[in-house]
Amino acid sequence: MPDGYLGPNTYLPFWIIMIPIWYYAGRWLRTNLRTKQVPYLALAAAFSFVIMMFNVPIPGGSTGHAVGSALVAIILGPWAAVVTTSVALLIQCLLFGDGGITTFGANCFNMAVVIPFVGYYTYAFIAGKTKMTDRRRIIGSGVGAWLGLTLAAACAGFEMGIQPIINVSSAGVPLYMPYGLNITVPAMVFGHAFFFSIVEVIVTVVAFTYIARNDPTIIWNYKAVETASKPRVPAAAA
Amino acid sequence: MIPDWMNQTEAGSYHGAASEAKKKGFAKKTVDGVLGFFQESLISEAFAKRKGLLQSLDPRVKLISMFVLVVGVTFMTSPWVLLVIYLLTLVLAYFSKIEVLWFVKRVWVFIPIFAGVIVIPILFNVFLAGDVLVPIATLGNGSHLGPIALPSSIYITRQGTTYVVTFILRVAACVSLAILLFLTTQRDLLFKSMRTLYVPKVYVLTISMCYRYIFLLLDTIADLFTARRSRQIVSLPLREEQRWVGGRVGYMLVKSLDMSDKVHEAMISRGFNGDVKLMHDNVMHHRDYVAIVTVLACCVILALISRSIISI
Repeated sequence: MPDGYLGPNTYLPFWIIMIPIWYYAGRWLRTNLRTKQVPYLALAAAFSFVIMMFNVPIPGGSTGHAVGSALVAIILGPWAAVVTTSVALLIQCLLFGDGGITTFGANCFNMAVVIPFVGYYTYAFIAGKTKMTDRRRIIGSGVGAWLGLTLAAACAGFEMGIQPIINVSSAGVPLYMPYGLNITVPAMVFGHAFFFSIVEVIVTVVAFTYIARNDPTIIWNYKAVETASKPRVPAAAA
Repeated sequence: MIPDWMNQTEAGSYHGAASEAKKKGFAKKTVDGVLGFFQESLISEAFAKRKGLLQSLDPRVKLISMFVLVVGVTFMTSPWVLLVIYLLTLVLAYFSKIEVLWFVKRVWVFIPIFAGVIVIPILFNVFLAGDVLVPIATLGNGSHLGPIALPSSIYITRQGTTYVVTFILRVAACVSLAILLFLTTQRDLLFKSMRTLYVPKVYVLTISMCYRYIFLLLDTIADLFTARRSRQIVSLPLREEQRWVGGRVGYMLVKSLDMSDKVHEAMISRGFNGDVKLMHDNVMHHRDYVAIVTVLACCVILALISRSIISI
């Protein structure tokens, strides 16, 4: 969402929500990564930025782009995805004027919080205690990516759709986004559920499968997943 | 020493070999996108090095001023005030030695035009009731367009037109200010100036490093896709192509993290202990104080005029 779509009474609360999230994400990463924090996040954020440059072929000869936040959350953990996606969005906003400065908090909430957390926990729920290369994990990554992006789109639709309710002039004319929830939410949800989220699923599933099969050690909770997936040996047999 | 002609960059946009094929494949689109990004970055770096009005100001002053102005613009409701601010950005672009036509094109292509397309229906009384400005058609009572009940006559309203102009100008003014900041400030200085907005040092360093490594990763992507194009005779089935792109995404993530390990080791070997230090070599001059006071005063006055608290 660029600047001008949301009124101050909408974008300011999102800044207030995001500041403690960024703070906590920073603390979590500092504790877990120590001196590695800066290069790790810088390169991962650079990846989060460049993933949007990949054109994915889709039926009809056209192409689409992926956001990649769910993939980053599954591979690097949701807190790392909060920071890397936020940094990528900030650079995009300063480089291209794309995304908005006042709406940066809201955009980060949708793309750097909703997608990673919904994506990751959906994936973790479906995956259960299976091995890293198990089919359930692959399905989980796809469902997580689809649900994360679709819910983020619904959030953006909600943020835009409340504008004509909370921001109108004394003459009854809307001041910011003019369409109500009955238009913005379905438009955003359907557009994403049947197109953008599908592209997201393709990229997430294939990239996750590639990493799980070729280099699973880079996955942030690899050791925990492998330990949990090992069959327990009964005490008597031991 | 780099000769002068190598430092010169002409404003323009990369079109790739658009004329050679009407329908580009996903590989060509990706390579063109990457090359376009490189060219855009080169052009904006060249503008940032020119000796213009905004380039001469302290980056911290520019960042704060731009931030305040963008926030101010979102509070403004008068199309005339927004027009003044938009025209001001053009004047600033001119005195900052940025080609104004190029700047206008750079700003308007996509974001404000897209915003305009979204709100165009609001022009008509179907979506927003108001006074008649331009009559369009008389339909009679009981007309419907699918599930939408239409009024007996359709016309463009005065209120709708004012709204659409205000909305587009607000978006255009905000985008212009953001792009102006980027075009007139060198990247490393821009990122360092974020410390004035209390962005933690560790994030400033992360953003700065991230920006540098974006180019390296994009160069790798361009190489991957160019290599594929050079080997490809016919298109593969869609699923195979999607699998290839997804695999490259996974490969890039593995490569990025591998590179981060090497960068980390290089930093440690040079004495990095996790304590981030940023060089601050900016000095505020009189013109910087004048600039920030002027911007703040203008912003407050224009916001008050826009909200009809004061009138001229």
